[in-house]
Amino acid sequence: MIEIRNLTKQFGDFTAVDHLNLTIRTGEFFGLLGPNGAGKTTTLSMLSTVLLPTEGEILLDGKRLDRKASEQKRKLCVITQEYSMRQDMIMDEVMEYQGRLYFLPKKVIRERTDALLEFAGLTEYRKRTVRHLSGGMKRKLMICRALLVEPEILLLDEPTAGMDAISRRQMWNLLRKLNGRNMTIVLTTHYIEEAQNLCSRVALVNRGKLQKLDTPDHLIGELGNFAVDEVDEDNLSTRYFHDRDDAIAYLSSVGSQASLRATTLEDVFVECAGRRL
Amino acid sequence: MGIITVLWEKWTEFKRDFYKITVAAMISPLMYLVIFGMGIQTMSHGEPYLHFLIPGIVAMATMTGSFSATAQNMSVQRLYEKALDQVMVSPTPLWQFIVGQIIGGSLRGMYAGAIILLLTSPVRTDLIFNGWSVLVMFLNGMVFATIALVLSFLAKSYSDAPRFTSYIITPMSFLCNTFFSTDQMPNGFRQVIGLLPLSQASSMIREISNGGQPGVFGFAVLLVYLVIFSALSVWFIYKKKNL
Repeated sequence: MIEIRNLTKQFGDFTAVDHLNLTIRTGEFFGLLGPNGAGKTTTLSMLSTVLLPTEGEILLDGKRLDRKASEQKRKLCVITQEYSMRQDMIMDEVMEYQGRLYFLPKKVIRERTDALLEFAGLTEYRKRTVRHLSGGMKRKLMICRALLVEPEILLLDEPTAGMDAISRRQMWNLLRKLNGRNMTIVLTTHYIEEAQNLCSRVALVNRGKLQKLDTPDHLIGELGNFAVDEVDEDNLSTRYFHDRDDAIAYLSSVGSQASLRATTLEDVFVECAGRRL
Repeated sequence: MGIITVLWEKWTEFKRDFYKITVAAMISPLMYLVIFGMGIQTMSHGEPYLHFLIPGIVAMATMTGSFSATAQNMSVQRLYEKALDQVMVSPTPLWQFIVGQIIGGSLRGMYAGAIILLLTSPVRTDLIFNGWSVLVMFLNGMVFATIALVLSFLAKSYSDAPRFTSYIITPMSFLCNTFFSTDQMPNGFRQVIGLLPLSQASSMIREISNGGQPGVFGFAVLLVYLVIFSALSVWFIYKKKNL
């Protein structure tokens, strides 16, 4: 279980994360959503101890997580938004370096590397240096590197950024499978559809503050399960309804420039972030 | 053991860039030897200048080899590749990472010094290089690896690494007992320069090469630098808020 207590991070006068309180349960698929600059990556960087909080603390299974906490750090692994790898290493070396950093035996590193590279379709490129890989291959290699150590908690910062639609779907399937094995997954993403499909709970943050925290279904239900989009000159506005009949009645009253659809998590996000932008 | 992991990482880098590393370690010291030692035929303290110059160049090569390998590697990992994040999040104790960097950096410095010894071996000088010389070279390399680590943690951009070389390494190369004795310097300035690590390393290697024993004071000065900068490196990696 991850407990984030009063977590605050300031860069000079700018407060990136502002007294954030969250509890992420073991085995949960948790999404951290917010507009650009909301503090998602900063929160994840504090969870990975790359950044230290200005105030507050993070507890992992009841024990404080900091840079000295080797036992706690063994449980988690992070896939960053940037390709954080030695660019001059070949794939095999990237994997071996990771395995050594987590004190895995050489035989285990070799076996898991073979299996993961095969699974990701990277086996034929294993002798290629990272700088000569495409963006998609680098992303897949980062995932293989994280899975090599079989972490209990996986932190993912925009894991499907830059991936094509097929690779993204494959990634979703993989993440679902990992979560099915009781791996706790914390995900930040710009693709709201991704969070709605995958996450059991999501936190909406804006300007470093927690705005909403619930399951996607509850958040949508709170706003209203039915949405009517109205096009008025160049503007699109949306009204939400809890009752389908109310939505249909409204639709009939506004004419042909309107349409009825199911409310999505993206609507919740836009309502929550848009109002405060 | 985290130290072995870092040394393994350094070894893969060394194997991959062997020719680049070797040529880079040779060029400047070789130029100094050719121009000052052979081109300008002079005497120092009644002996060929080359006898004075070679130990100084060995100390200098150890310094630059160690400093540039560590500073460049760490700055690139921290600021450009962000590969340091992988280490930060891993269970490898960070002090072991620092110790690995210091030993690895020092070994690279020793390699640069050994190249100079190899290149000057055909020149008949009767200079002695033994286990004491290796110890001084290793200690000198460790000192400059720790200085490089501290500066890498202070660097705000990738371009800061060469800037630190210009501010620190270049003046030390010329002033610290490498090309001329610090005895000729004015009072006050001489004492300050004499306390810099390269002055002590040059002086000790020179003393050994002339058949003497290195003084305890030299070792003490290098050890003080090593302790201070190692402690700072460890403090930075554990306590710096934004790495």
